[in-house]
Amino acid sequence: MNDKTIIFGWLLALVLPGVAAKIPERPEQLKFPKLTYAPPTGKEYRVPLKSGPVAFVVPNRELPLVSISILVRTGKFNEPKGKEGLAAMTGYLLSKGGTKNHSAEELEERLAFLAAGLSSSVGDTSGSVGVNLLSKDLDEGLAMLREVLTVPRFQKDRMDLYKTQQIQAMKQRNDDSRNIERRELIRLAYGDHFFRSQVTTKASIESITEADLRAFHQAWFHPRNFVVAVSGDFDRQAMVAKLERLFAKWPYQGQAAKPVPTNKQFAKPGVYLVDKEVNQGRVDIMLPGILRDNPDYYAVQVMNDILGGGGFTSRITNRVRSDEGLAYSAYSYCPGGTYFPRTFVAGYQSKSGTVLYAAQIVLEEMRKITQEQVTDKEIETAKASYIQTFPQAFETKTAVAGTFASEEFTGRLAKDPAYYKNFRDKIAAVTKEDIQRVAAKYLTPDKVAILVVGNKKEILKGHPDHPVTIESLTPGGLKDVPLRDPYTLKPLK
Amino acid sequence: MRILLGLFLFPLLLGAQQVAVKEHFLSNGMKVLLLERNDAPSISGGWVARVGSVNERPGITGMAHLFEHMMFKGTPTIGTKDYKKDQEIIAAQEKVRDAMRAEERRMRAMWRRGEITDLQDPEQKTAEWNRLNEEFKKLVEAHREVIVKNEFDRIYTANGGSRMNAYTSYDHTAYFITVPANKLELFMWMESERLLRPVFREFYAERDVVFEERRMRTESTPLGKFFESFNSLFWESHPYSWPIIGWPSDIPAISKKQADAFYATYYMPQNLTLVLVGDFKGKPALAMAEKYFGRLQKGQGLPPDVVTLEQPQKAEKRFYAEAETNPNIDIYWHTPAFGHKDTYPLSVLAQVLSTRTGRLHKELVLGKKLATDTWAWQGARKYAGEFNMGAEITEGNTPEMAEQEIYRLIEQIKNEPVPEKELQKVKNNFAAAEYRRLSSNHPILMQIMRSEGLGNWREINEAGPKIQAVTPADLQRVAKKYFTKENRAVAVYTRKPGTGGAGDDPLLAGLDAQSKAMARKMSSSINANNNLDELKKQLAGLEAQMEQAGAKAPPVMKVIRNVLRKRIAELEKK
Repeated sequence: MNDKTIIFGWLLALVLPGVAAKIPERPEQLKFPKLTYAPPTGKEYRVPLKSGPVAFVVPNRELPLVSISILVRTGKFNEPKGKEGLAAMTGYLLSKGGTKNHSAEELEERLAFLAAGLSSSVGDTSGSVGVNLLSKDLDEGLAMLREVLTVPRFQKDRMDLYKTQQIQAMKQRNDDSRNIERRELIRLAYGDHFFRSQVTTKASIESITEADLRAFHQAWFHPRNFVVAVSGDFDRQAMVAKLERLFAKWPYQGQAAKPVPTNKQFAKPGVYLVDKEVNQGRVDIMLPGILRDNPDYYAVQVMNDILGGGGFTSRITNRVRSDEGLAYSAYSYCPGGTYFPRTFVAGYQSKSGTVLYAAQIVLEEMRKITQEQVTDKEIETAKASYIQTFPQAFETKTAVAGTFASEEFTGRLAKDPAYYKNFRDKIAAVTKEDIQRVAAKYLTPDKVAILVVGNKKEILKGHPDHPVTIESLTPGGLKDVPLRDPYTLKPLK
Repeated sequence: MRILLGLFLFPLLLGAQQVAVKEHFLSNGMKVLLLERNDAPSISGGWVARVGSVNERPGITGMAHLFEHMMFKGTPTIGTKDYKKDQEIIAAQEKVRDAMRAEERRMRAMWRRGEITDLQDPEQKTAEWNRLNEEFKKLVEAHREVIVKNEFDRIYTANGGSRMNAYTSYDHTAYFITVPANKLELFMWMESERLLRPVFREFYAERDVVFEERRMRTESTPLGKFFESFNSLFWESHPYSWPIIGWPSDIPAISKKQADAFYATYYMPQNLTLVLVGDFKGKPALAMAEKYFGRLQKGQGLPPDVVTLEQPQKAEKRFYAEAETNPNIDIYWHTPAFGHKDTYPLSVLAQVLSTRTGRLHKELVLGKKLATDTWAWQGARKYAGEFNMGAEITEGNTPEMAEQEIYRLIEQIKNEPVPEKELQKVKNNFAAAEYRRLSSNHPILMQIMRSEGLGNWREINEAGPKIQAVTPADLQRVAKKYFTKENRAVAVYTRKPGTGGAGDDPLLAGLDAQSKAMARKMSSSINANNNLDELKKQLAGLEAQMEQAGAKAPPVMKVIRNVLRKRIAELEKK
């Protein structure tokens, strides 16, 4: 042990003001220094490149690393019918299937030797291609990035391997109750016809050809559809010049980006039950949710935080977990969609016998927040949490570049450039009346669709101390949802 | 622009990236680790208790984890409106619980005689137990009147605290949070108070929460229960053999009295390390730590050491499970503890074998197409380690086929030095990871706490150079030393019949997984064969064999005969 340090510590305690003060009974009696924080603005990093994309360039010389991420205006919604899985497959193979000049093996070996990460993917409403490397390898990394973006090889053996892996993964679609839950949640929340519900099947993945991949790639992966985030160890001007070269003289034209579809359809009220032999049921109590541009957005966030979004400080967690011990995890979320309203979900996992009892408690809490004003303490806690954790959005330089690139990509930077500047004031302005009003508007218990994945017999049997009927939860009653064939997703008998 | 796909060696020559942690001790022996970083106006803080499930014993397995949950229940001034009444009710609850425990002892005797089949079943509890339980429930209701629900969490939340959580591992328990930079004193107050005078409220409801956690993680997942069982097979004498979350028989038997004793033994300041990472000044922060944490009373000596060693394994162990999963092979070898000199070459070896450009992927996935996924990792725990390799098997193959390939690759490592360039590639990735890990306060805090919990925070700086010093000969040496048949345990997972939905060929119905794989392989070669004569010869040969075997002929023969007949009929039609 270091005796010097100890003595030093004691001396400091005597000398420094504040340190010598008495320790109070309660933390409210502590005095804290003032902390002011001004978020960065997108403007200071925004560079519209002559070659097409808008880039956010954020130098940071602390470590010898560079991170480049390109957002692409495409997504699963661009998949032709019968080719479900094409978007994700194109995204994956772009960086994993070699380039015109280099086989997949050569590329992978070189990247691995440089300890560089090159990745690509296409999700529901955006694509992304990125590289993360040591700054000494920047030029080589940019050259690889250009090859991957412009002349991908889509090597045959890598296509075959990807298909095998996907089909293998499909086989596990009914193994874990979580997977069943995720899949059925999307169907119920967005409807069978919405693009997010068009799940890959064995037939659809098998039908995808190299020509399909090339068509998808060349339609959407071109500079006009890119937004770029760059951060790390470089000089700003030099990086801008490098980016101009990266995107110059694109070898093909591509198409203008298409708008993301919004034709979702929320399920009718009811308890949708998938029978699965497990001793714990997984439950999602759903409502249609809101858009993030909704003027009620801030009030909804604070309301949800009090209801179930704020962890141990929220009502659902307190009642379902702390009071009753019915679940390890009980929560709600209402994220606010960018393109279409994102579903409100209150969820938990509980042993079969108490699945319905816990649902009753959650619905009670949803009703209560529409009927009675929240307390001062609750609203102050929720608002303070949003306001004081706000700087985390910009914790690292990579986060700064990424956050503004995403703002640009989704159009909010143009529409509401002061979003981050005003965020804390908007949260601070939310009142108890606002919370009750938005709760009444969006939390409509008679409209809930409840997804349950678990042991039907045991769940319906319930708990002897807490009898609850399905009918008391929703006017829609019980609706059996069949398991689906893992390859075709057609209902199994 | 040109890509240089050079084949020459290009070592990174990175200077070791030291994490500038400063170590101090408080007057009561508590260790304090400080790392100043000024990237963001926040501080990620936490503390490690050098206690985990390894310090438990049969009967109280799950204690370390349950205890971790209890540390969020408050103090005399946090979590209650009326501390006096709060204490009275807790004491009354313990009295009832003592009576219930006596009844549970009687129920276990009834269970041994077969008079009860399930001790957890609410319908099989005795009348006396139910009576006591009703009495207990009333006390819980009364307690709610004076409890301020989750107040500990609420105070942090209202002050901008985030990522508050804790975890329990085999060897250590860690508690952590991120607070705005101006709230350091709040952190000091809250954490020292809960260490100084914790109050274990809602102890028995929390056990139900832990049971739900157990159902979620272990019981309701396709492989959770098998992993738990396999872990107990792998570790024989060592306390690593029981699960961190505890056996289902033990969790409900743990008493508050036992939790109090556990606290007194393991949560003394000499057994704790405080860690701060972020925007603060070292000197005043240290003085503040002394002011708040210095209040903890130094305990007598140190907590008991873990003395039971894992006995060297005497024979290969094999574990066969039918599960709701794709077939896979999962092999574990015993390796040494955290900080042992052999762990560095073993970590390098794991990287030579894993990753997309590693040997397992190249051989099993790309080459032989036996697997869709492979893995290899070296995991050092505080008292002993494990090395794991495995693969998920493709349709038409068996886990045993991949297993043999894995052994072949191991022999190759033993017999041929890993080429310099391949080794350099792996080392380059270790070196770059030393930069990447320094992204923000919270992940850095987690690394320091983990390393400290495993035995020595300094490993975050000292492991790097040791990794870079590994030679091909080191790899051969550790492979020979640890990758032996006697030192391994092998789990073979096959799909549980009747699960996985459709997709099974009706011709193969009724076969076990291994025969199915064999039949599939043979069918694909039969169906690709256009030589009618050859097929007829095969059929005749098979029929002769079947006649000889009589009733003992394995069912797979019948299946193959049908495939042959079908193919012959097809070709004859053409």
